[in-house]
Amino acid sequence: MSMYATFVKGLWKENPIFRLLLGLCPTLAVTSSVENGIGMGLATTFVLLCSNVLVSLLRNFIPKKVRIPAYIVIIATFVTVVDLVMHGFFFQLHRSLGLFIPLIVVNCIILGRAEAFASRNTLPLAVADGLGMGVGFTLGLMTIGAVREVLGGGTVLGLPLFGGGYVPVLVMILAPGAFITLGFLLAGMNKLEERRAIRAGEKYEPPRAMDCGSCVLCTMDENIKGED
Amino acid sequence: MKDLLNLSLRLALICAVAALALAKVNDLTAGPIAEAELRAELEAVEAVLPPYAELRADTLGTDDGDALYYVGLTDGEPVGVAFGSISNKGYSGEVAILVGVDAAGKVNGVRVLRHAETPGLGANYTDVALLDAFYKGYGLDDRDWRVKKDGGDVDAVTGATVTGRAIAGAVDQGLRRFARDRDRLLSAPASAAEETQP
Repeated sequence: MSMYATFVKGLWKENPIFRLLLGLCPTLAVTSSVENGIGMGLATTFVLLCSNVLVSLLRNFIPKKVRIPAYIVIIATFVTVVDLVMHGFFFQLHRSLGLFIPLIVVNCIILGRAEAFASRNTLPLAVADGLGMGVGFTLGLMTIGAVREVLGGGTVLGLPLFGGGYVPVLVMILAPGAFITLGFLLAGMNKLEERRAIRAGEKYEPPRAMDCGSCVLCTMDENIKGED
Repeated sequence: MKDLLNLSLRLALICAVAALALAKVNDLTAGPIAEAELRAELEAVEAVLPPYAELRADTLGTDDGDALYYVGLTDGEPVGVAFGSISNKGYSGEVAILVGVDAAGKVNGVRVLRHAETPGLGANYTDVALLDAFYKGYGLDDRDWRVKKDGGDVDAVTGATVTGRAIAGAVDQGLRRFARDRDRLLSAPASAAEETQP
């Protein structure tokens, strides 16, 4: 796969939020505004990129049997770096994302990409994959954040969008609003994909990321066991 | 056995490098973090006090622990005092606020320093206009510092009564503590205090 294709697949075809349905904890928790979405997305992208780079570079050094602890140490290190730097230099953003920064460690996208991609690909491809996935994640968070902020607060990036008469739909900013928005966006994306497939004359297959049999991680694990 | 040693050594090496890197980053960011925290606190102090020429930070030992007061002075005369107050009755966790009073002891401003309240509801209490409308201009004895729902005089955001109750309670508690410490604080010799420029 070319670097371009590796990068682009994270934006739509294998978008971590809408296609792989990974990293839903931050997705649902911090998307109450566009700004939070961007902040969380960029922080995650940075960690994803760095961990992909290191995991790819060290892929022959890290023994298969202890790879998960090794990845977690690498990821946790970068997350701590992000946390400290953000605290010192982006104080307001750190305040609003607060609790969710340390939780990037357990964001499955990052461990997932380290395991499923970076550990078996060269450095340039790992960089492209990390950037693509990160940008895809950021765009996804921004989209959900925009929908929720517009409906639930009547603002975009803190700027009022409607006149004073608009009564915000509070539920959109609360936790249920995140699920509702994600559900509608997923349905919309499936519809678009279906239409595209029909127009191209292909048979449409619903996304199978949710079904266990097609989960990449499980098959990876079997492959690795086989190699040992 | 050889395998085990190999695995342990490699993992230990990764951990050691990570630890070294983190120690370095921690070193580099410790300064800016402390600065940013201090700046945020001083900004809040400046926002809740009437205009002042110099700021004095005073720590008073009291029966319930040390209390930190910021005294705003103009020509050596106190024009306002800012103090923190914490309520653990927030909707989710603690709500830490900073209260500023003018020379007459009336609330001049309130800022929420730290909270984990619901976005869109309790988190609206970071809105300055709203905080001023709810609390500004009242002294300890001017009103019943309970929210209207509890029979008091303080307004609260619809749907966020719990947060409103927590903040009103914290303001009340802060004002009471200040009333108790006031004489001691304002007569304290300035030489014992640590001076901070605004």
